[in-house]
Amino acid sequence: MSGEQAEVGDSEFEQRARAVLTQSAEQLPGAVRSRLTQARFAALAARPARGPSFARRWVPAGAAAAAVLALLVVYAPYGRGPAENPVANAGLEDIELLTDNDAVPLNGDQDVDYDFYEWAADEADGTTASALGS
Amino acid sequence: MAAFASLDTQTADLVPPGKAHLRDSTQDAARALETFLASVERKAFRIAQIALRHEADALDVVQDAMLQLSTRYAARPPEEWRPLFYRILENRVRDVQRRRSVRNRVMAYMPWRGEDQEDAADPIDQAVDRAPLPPAQLESDEAMAALEQAIAGLPARQRQAFLLRNFEGLDVAETAATMKCSQGSVKTHYFRALHALRAKLGEFRT
Repeated sequence: MSGEQAEVGDSEFEQRARAVLTQSAEQLPGAVRSRLTQARFAALAARPARGPSFARRWVPAGAAAAAVLALLVVYAPYGRGPAENPVANAGLEDIELLTDNDAVPLNGDQDVDYDFYEWAADEADGTTASALGS
Repeated sequence: MAAFASLDTQTADLVPPGKAHLRDSTQDAARALETFLASVERKAFRIAQIALRHEADALDVVQDAMLQLSTRYAARPPEEWRPLFYRILENRVRDVQRRRSVRNRVMAYMPWRGEDQEDAADPIDQAVDRAPLPPAQLESDEAMAALEQAIAGLPARQRQAFLLRNFEGLDVAETAATMKCSQGSVKTHYFRALHALRAKLGEFRT
């Protein structure tokens, strides 16, 4: 294929072709030239100016950023974060309650002095009996 | 250059006082773009016309390409404009050819085909002018017609490579960028186009 990869040369054929094509472009009818000029003016008029282009590029971006920030402020879960979540911290609280000496005993039955209550009951019965006997 | 008067007025209105350097650079960029478009518009029209064989379609295609370059790529470095412009142009040419192909396929099934002659060429415009032409002009016209017909008959890539390299004068790298292919492919397409044109036209005279 390297043999086919020829550069543009200055062969007579190429020169003639270029001359014919260039001549045809230079001799376009007036109506076509006029349309081309109008098209060029329209394209230049539609070209975005630099200042407004900068504003057009950054104002919507700023507005979008502000909207996202506003949404975050309104809907952000302040006070309901993981640190304040009761379910997540239930285990930690249980440990604190169980190890707290001043807290109300959760398993109170183990600390009840049943002997005291029996003695008190006996004493109360004896007192009553002696009082009745006397 | 008459466009500059209105453009300068428009840009002057856009730039606030104290920002004269911005206004100057904007005007310079507009002037550079104006110069570029003026330098390519006629050749671009001929390239589109050879590909489409239709004057109005070729004008529309060139106008679209100018508009797109101006609105989307004017901020690019000027040395990139030429390949970009011709790539846009070729894409537009292909769009028109596809639309035509679809329309022709659809119209082939329509029972009332042939009745709508809006897009058909005006026979009066197409009529050959019988007024005698100077011999040199006649030869030139004949040479152009033969060359145009031969180029139009080339495969699209060969036609593109030949016109961009030979007519527009793009170098291999610019042509490759325009055609979105390797430089080796450009050389191959160009060589084959040249070979086919020579076989068809011989050493035609201008």
